[in-house]
Amino acid sequence: MDTFPATLLQIAVTAPILIGLILITGRNLPRSFASGFAFGGFAIPAMLGPWLLLLWCTPTAPAQFQSAGPWGFGFALNGISAPLLAMTALVGFAAGIKALTQEVEARNTYLGLILFMLGGTLGVFATNHIVGFYFFHEFALIPTFILTLFWGGEGRRPAAMQMAIYLTAGAMASLAGILIALDASGLSFDNATFANLVEALARVEHLPAATGALVLFGLGTLASLFPFHSWAAPGYTAAPTPVSMIHAGALKKFGLYGIIIIGLSSLDITGGRLGQWFLWLAVANVFIVGLICLVQRDLKQLLSWSSVAHMGPIFLGLWVCGTSGKAEGLDAAVFLMVAHGLSCAALFLLANAVRTRAGTYRLDELGGLATRAPILAALFIAATMASIGLPGFGNFWGEIGIFLALRAQPLWLQGIIASTVVISAIYALRAVAATFFGPSSEALDKRFASAPFGDVSWNERAAAAVLLGASLLIGFMPSLITRSTNPLTAEITVHAQHAAKAPAAEPVQR
Amino acid sequence: MPSDYSCLVHWILFLPLGAAALSALLLRKQGTLAAWLSTATAFAIAAISFNLLRHEGNVTWHVELAKFGDLSLGFGYLIDANARLMLFVVSFVAAWIHLFSVGYMKDDSARGRFFAGLSIFMFSILGIVVADNLLMTFIFWELVGFSSYMLIAHYFDKDFAAAASKKAFITNRIGDLGFILGIAMCLSLYGTVDFAALKDHAAAAKTIPVAVGALLMCGFLGKSAQFPLHVWLTDAMAGPTPVSALIHAATMVAAGVYFMARVSFLLAPDVLHFIAISGAGMAALAGLCALAQTDIKKSLAYSTLAHLGIMGCAIGLGHPELALMHMAMHAFFKATLFLGAGSVIHGCHHEQDMLKMGGLLKKMPLTAATFIAATLSNCAVPFLAGWYSKDAIIEAAFHGEHIAIFAFLSLAALATCLYSGRMIRLVFLGEANSEEAKHAHESPWLMTLPLIVLGLVYSVAGGFLAHSIIPASSLQPIGEALKEASFHLTAPSTIVGLLSLLIGFGGALKFYGAVRGADALQVLSPRTYHLLEHRWMDGLYRWYIDSVQRRIAEFVAFLDLLFINGVAVRWIGGGVPAVLGYLTGRTFHRGQVRAYAFWIVLGTLFLAWFLIAR
Repeated sequence: MDTFPATLLQIAVTAPILIGLILITGRNLPRSFASGFAFGGFAIPAMLGPWLLLLWCTPTAPAQFQSAGPWGFGFALNGISAPLLAMTALVGFAAGIKALTQEVEARNTYLGLILFMLGGTLGVFATNHIVGFYFFHEFALIPTFILTLFWGGEGRRPAAMQMAIYLTAGAMASLAGILIALDASGLSFDNATFANLVEALARVEHLPAATGALVLFGLGTLASLFPFHSWAAPGYTAAPTPVSMIHAGALKKFGLYGIIIIGLSSLDITGGRLGQWFLWLAVANVFIVGLICLVQRDLKQLLSWSSVAHMGPIFLGLWVCGTSGKAEGLDAAVFLMVAHGLSCAALFLLANAVRTRAGTYRLDELGGLATRAPILAALFIAATMASIGLPGFGNFWGEIGIFLALRAQPLWLQGIIASTVVISAIYALRAVAATFFGPSSEALDKRFASAPFGDVSWNERAAAAVLLGASLLIGFMPSLITRSTNPLTAEITVHAQHAAKAPAAEPVQR
Repeated sequence: MPSDYSCLVHWILFLPLGAAALSALLLRKQGTLAAWLSTATAFAIAAISFNLLRHEGNVTWHVELAKFGDLSLGFGYLIDANARLMLFVVSFVAAWIHLFSVGYMKDDSARGRFFAGLSIFMFSILGIVVADNLLMTFIFWELVGFSSYMLIAHYFDKDFAAAASKKAFITNRIGDLGFILGIAMCLSLYGTVDFAALKDHAAAAKTIPVAVGALLMCGFLGKSAQFPLHVWLTDAMAGPTPVSALIHAATMVAAGVYFMARVSFLLAPDVLHFIAISGAGMAALAGLCALAQTDIKKSLAYSTLAHLGIMGCAIGLGHPELALMHMAMHAFFKATLFLGAGSVIHGCHHEQDMLKMGGLLKKMPLTAATFIAATLSNCAVPFLAGWYSKDAIIEAAFHGEHIAIFAFLSLAALATCLYSGRMIRLVFLGEANSEEAKHAHESPWLMTLPLIVLGLVYSVAGGFLAHSIIPASSLQPIGEALKEASFHLTAPSTIVGLLSLLIGFGGALKFYGAVRGADALQVLSPRTYHLLEHRWMDGLYRWYIDSVQRRIAEFVAFLDLLFINGVAVRWIGGGVPAVLGYLTGRTFHRGQVRAYAFWIVLGTLFLAWFLIAR
């Protein structure tokens, strides 16, 4: 019999999927019914996700909340997926509130697909099985393409197409890598849980060289690792706002999660030439993409690009964990994954609130919005400050932890990486000033005269409050996350060391 | 036995945070309530800090917030004599500035936001003072930057305020970049970021690497507006005047000095030498630049830059206690000067141009009296607060046989007297030069009371009062400073000071009386005036941003679009099939989605393969 938390975990994943199914099949359900159902689909995980994280941190928690899922592969949490699941649930809830207030064609299908996307993302973090990982991964991505293609904004067709191709290619590459690893380890599909895979691979003397690279670059594509990032900015920009929120905030994190739980744990991805590539590509994410952010002239594109740039420090946290043999970089990286999810979703949400009022995302047409919408300005500034790592918000701990973890690197390299604190401040504050400060722009005045708009609505406030409140909470009480991650990151660091040392031991045996 | 008063420190730190949260969330529209809540909090903190001054002994308190691997993220207090003094100075000055703001901001529609900002600033600056480790210092350091940003942007619908707030934040962050690297280096070398532990390590080590001090110094350069990161401070005057008084004169900029004093054991001789030279040079240069400003607040801002240079110089000379003492004295008289300027601006219906003032002595007697008293303290007239600290530093430079530094500081002393005399002459003496000045009126008591308290009591008589109330242990930094200086009336510093007063102050009073409604120097030598007025560093940065940084960024973005998005993916994905299509007779033509997809996948894989297996 499943334990109580294991049942909660199952409900958290299946509720949005089942409700999504009801909405998609019942396309003609009356609006109020559909809204109620959909709200339930977003709210149930939002309640269960944080609850599960708290349960997970209690010392008497039953092992891993494990259960056999309805699809044949198991459900389980671990120290890293528990906070990610909670974050996804909150991001999904905020995105849900946004989606429920939107007027779109085929609304029930739209809501149902977003619920699918959410359920799939939750599922990735709720399974302990390779098959489950890929199943939910596709389950989340396919609705993302469809939603972008049919409900997206300007440029949605090429963006959706490019995204689909990239992400499918990435998934194929990583799957190829994992199949090679599975083959080498001699595990059958039925037993291919993460733990079994790591254990089995630890016994394997020699893995094909490309295994680690396929997993790293394949899953890295999902997380927009340079130079496989070209899909990300147009993809987020063209997608409808709730989709951008879930995608950039939560869904993208499963690429990183996969790299941690499969790549870092058992395939030496941070050593040798591959490790060098990993380092430099991650630095490019920080620095080159950071520079690209500086020239963006469209608010949503800027947010999209900056969300790519913010992946750089996370990759570096993973890298330094593998090379230094210390868990601190990984702890900080997971922390930043959670915090970035919250702040990034909040920014997409609030940027959309700007657009519904000002009618544009173009920074040169915006200006002076704070006079007409002061609370929107305050929330947007708070979210911006969170994203550029102001202490008090969660992102700060993640960023500073990664910088400190990199302390053994050459000073100039640390300098390039830490320059993100300046670069991100430049583009983020420039956007704030261009959108909210200064005198009201002409375009805005005209629009206000023809269609007067108010300050941020209660729905938007509630959604932003959930995200920013959660970010503040982990900012003030970082142990909420680290209590969950600490034991597992320590374990993974040991595995990573083992994986890295395996080739070095070879000559001795000969 | 020393008593454990860490509980009092909790109150000091978290009262303002609570007030800020309450104001921001609930009192946005109840401006008056928010104003008094914030002010009451500030006075409560001042009372507690005053109480702390009477406690003996150090207090430490520490709690671990979380762990990243083995890295402990700690939060704690280290209250020593320096911290107690700084707590008192900050909270006392701040309390009166809060009261002043109640009057000054009376008609502002966004008082809730303003006072929430002041409270969050109090939380941040007090956090720096009590912090027991580098990481916690950095946390509050950043928060100070944020609150400064919000308060400078108070009049956000004005373009200059929007630009100034951004500039202040980004410039501070450039300094913070070095600060982060410094923290990382401390952690890497000594395995800890705790001040007490670092001090032990530093004492045990024979030499401290230059890089540690140089990197930590970057934080100081940014926050205390030292060369070459000084450019933000004069622009920061775009904020409301009480903000300029509190943040950009008395406390925030002093935080850098306090921090340098706190980690002085980590500063290698080379670093100290740099700080001393650049501080002294800065003091002289900024003092002269103050002569070429007509905006009263900007002129005062340059004066602050000069004094920060002097404090930096004291640290560089190896006298952090002198720097702290000057910081304390400066906090009082500069706050008075800024509040006085605020009162003048308020009285003259928001006129800030000194050339349009004049003759305010009779119309605003209380403001004038306190302003002049603080000015004299600023000019280091013997036995006033500024004299004790500033001349002690000049004396230290002389005894340290740093002739260049001594010369720069002497020039700074002269410049101080010049711009002070000019300010008094233009604003308070002569006749009114505009309608606004003609109809000037004295400010209400809410504004003059803080002026009187801060100005008269502290600029003039602070030293004498302090001795009778506060135990020697808490005033240890000041006591030591004075003992070390032990200067007398024939000391070089006193001679320099008196000569400057005579030539500078007297000369300026006469010189600037010659021309009415214009700047005498500008009339006499427009070229000199322009040389001092022109903002060379701003020009340099502007050029860098427009011609270097932006072009590089645009070029990189172009390369990304061309090579990664365009050639590597699209070209391999689209170009190869096009060529093949041509060769094989339109097999792949028509841009069918499936073929397109296939080739892009292949292109991506090819690129991946190229990167890995090359």
